[in-house]
Amino acid sequence: MIKLSTLFWLVLVSTTGFAMFAVKYGVQSLEDELNRTKRATIAEEHAIRADEAEWAYLTRPETLDEINRRHLALGPITTKQLRTSVIDIPLRAAAPVVVDAPVVAVAEQPAESAPPAIPASTIAPALLEKQAEVVELARPAPTKVMAKPVPSRRPKSLDELIAQVVANR
Amino acid sequence: MKIATQRFDDNPCRPRHFKPPPCVAIIPDGPAKQTLEACHTRLLVTGGLFALVFAVVALRVVEIVAVGGGTAESQIARFRIVTPPEPSHADIVDRNGNVLATTLDSPSLYANPKQILDATEAANKLVSVFPTLGVAEVFAKLISSKSFVWIRRHLTPAEQYNVNQLGIPGLEFEHEERRVYPDGGLTSHVVGYAGIDNAGFAGVERGLDAVLRGRREPLQLSLDLRLQYILHEELQRVIDDFTAKGGAGLIMDVNSGEILAMASLPDFDPNHPTAPDPEHPAVALADRMFNRVTLGVYELGSIFKIFTVAMALDYGTATVTSTYDASHPIRIGRFTISDYHGKHRVLSVPEILMYSSNIGAARMAVAAGAQMQREFLTRLGLLETPKIEISEVGTPHYPAKWREVNVMTIAFGHGISVTPLSFATAAAALVNGGILRQATLLKLPAGYEPRGQRVISAKTSEQMRKLMRLVVEHGTGTMAAAPGYVVGGKTGTADKVSGRHYAERKLLSSFVGVFPINDPKYLILTMVDEPHPNKQSHGYATAGWTVAPATSRIIERIAPLLGVQPLDESSPEVQRALMVESLQGKRIEAY
Repeated sequence: MIKLSTLFWLVLVSTTGFAMFAVKYGVQSLEDELNRTKRATIAEEHAIRADEAEWAYLTRPETLDEINRRHLALGPITTKQLRTSVIDIPLRAAAPVVVDAPVVAVAEQPAESAPPAIPASTIAPALLEKQAEVVELARPAPTKVMAKPVPSRRPKSLDELIAQVVANR
Repeated sequence: MKIATQRFDDNPCRPRHFKPPPCVAIIPDGPAKQTLEACHTRLLVTGGLFALVFAVVALRVVEIVAVGGGTAESQIARFRIVTPPEPSHADIVDRNGNVLATTLDSPSLYANPKQILDATEAANKLVSVFPTLGVAEVFAKLISSKSFVWIRRHLTPAEQYNVNQLGIPGLEFEHEERRVYPDGGLTSHVVGYAGIDNAGFAGVERGLDAVLRGRREPLQLSLDLRLQYILHEELQRVIDDFTAKGGAGLIMDVNSGEILAMASLPDFDPNHPTAPDPEHPAVALADRMFNRVTLGVYELGSIFKIFTVAMALDYGTATVTSTYDASHPIRIGRFTISDYHGKHRVLSVPEILMYSSNIGAARMAVAAGAQMQREFLTRLGLLETPKIEISEVGTPHYPAKWREVNVMTIAFGHGISVTPLSFATAAAALVNGGILRQATLLKLPAGYEPRGQRVISAKTSEQMRKLMRLVVEHGTGTMAAAPGYVVGGKTGTADKVSGRHYAERKLLSSFVGVFPINDPKYLILTMVDEPHPNKQSHGYATAGWTVAPATSRIIERIAPLLGVQPLDESSPEVQRALMVESLQGKRIEAY
């Protein structure tokens, strides 16, 4: 009986001791790895900083301007280019779809009278005025055209919807 | 025991079959007993000692393994934990995240003179790597009695390699951090620069040094690098075209007070603050370091008339329809106030601003009085040192005693010197609905409008917008127009003071522009110091010919970047929003 309990304690003590050492060495090697990773992270952070500084240096507005002048010759956007908003872009002539007569009349109007996007400053103010009127007319057109066919023929997929929109334009 | 056995065996009379019983208690006596007891005690003591030693060893093992030690040797045996270095100075970035200032590692070379074997040879070799160093200077350092002397700070990787190649014992490298400004001179006056130990010496680096120190996240400024570049380039163009001494400008968000760009020319490279400018070697260092926007105070001239008009309208001493006689120059004391391009007739308030009439502005201010004028300028913050994140700020100059002559000259911007920054802050309040907000260099959350102080009524502000639009539409500032962006503004051409007199030929031309004036968003103030007329300007160096066209170019370039939608200026909505009732149906005389 005594011998059995002694053996038990002996095994327990040696197991605990071994486990303790194993854990200790495990922790140590993990700590080593952690330190290595931390060092690598710090080095990487420094490298990133240097790269960011270099990127900032290489993309200075001054440099970009010079490169642009040499290769692209892009200029600032002028008011002429910005004058027309999306609404001002005339709609294409409606496809021969069977729709109500007044809707066709409204939808086709911009196609008849609105010229393609002419630089606004070259147009006389009077003409500009007129164009603005046309735009006013054209604005409700898409909703009117869309309103009729949609309830009758609901698009089943996105492609179909796009096809419908294209057809109505 | 032996004695006892011997005694029985030796007994000659014992019977042969008799053997003494083996277990009989033998009680030693005398010296034998003593010897036995001594042995016993020794054994016990020795055993006890061994047990104690083993117990100590066992305890120590348990302590080392389980508790982890804590004594010197166990610390040495263990690996040192790597901790990331403390952040020294945070980066500075613009509102879009472009790096304006960052900290990079760079090695610095130092020597331990006690370890230098041959100082002469070492000095000669070092000078071959760093030609800018003097042999005598290096030699003196190498023979000094100290054990640490800096030879050179912040080496390039190539220099470090070359020094290593020399193979001189006693030379060591120390890793140091260095501030780097990728954009160089472009943002020099805003960002400033830091010295050799990263202590801020100017600009944000100095003004917000405490904030930058020990901070990990970058500090985001309100500056927009693209706008800064455009402003810088256009100002430089004006300076070159009109062979001016310098220039300054700023772009401000009128609703939040954020400064989107701020430039002062000539400028310096913060990476090498003391190095001469390779393009303009003659320009003095102090001139390049001088921040004309926040530190310089100037008599800004006619652009001050917007304050005179706003004061008169807000206090009710004048209305838009009021008229003032500007047919004859005013003589007061030794001064004569006259108009640059006089109309020589009675002018209405819009006309005074449009044609920039000094006589009219002076009469308008006199009608309001000194006390009101002073009170109004104080309210706009023009009589105090501006508050901003950088420490280079200029204190305004104004008369201690506000006499009638001062009232008259201040009405058209002479006899009072303020910083362009204070001017822009106050001018923004005139157009944004009447709220004065402190200018800031820090980015504010999108759409956030800091709490301001109401300085004029919303109605006066609206009237001011209409009047400033007239200046660009029909008055002195027609060249500032940027079709589609509805620019409003005011020109100002001041004679510079030299000594006790105004110098006729030395001008300070400035322009304040706001766009779109029907719904003000951005304010641009440009100023050029001592411009000279050129052929294209038909002999003029006034604001209308110098900075006004520059403002137009700047607006045309920055508006698409800022997402300002161009408008049809002739559209009824815009016309209605900017209509001045009193001028309706009248023919407006060209300037």
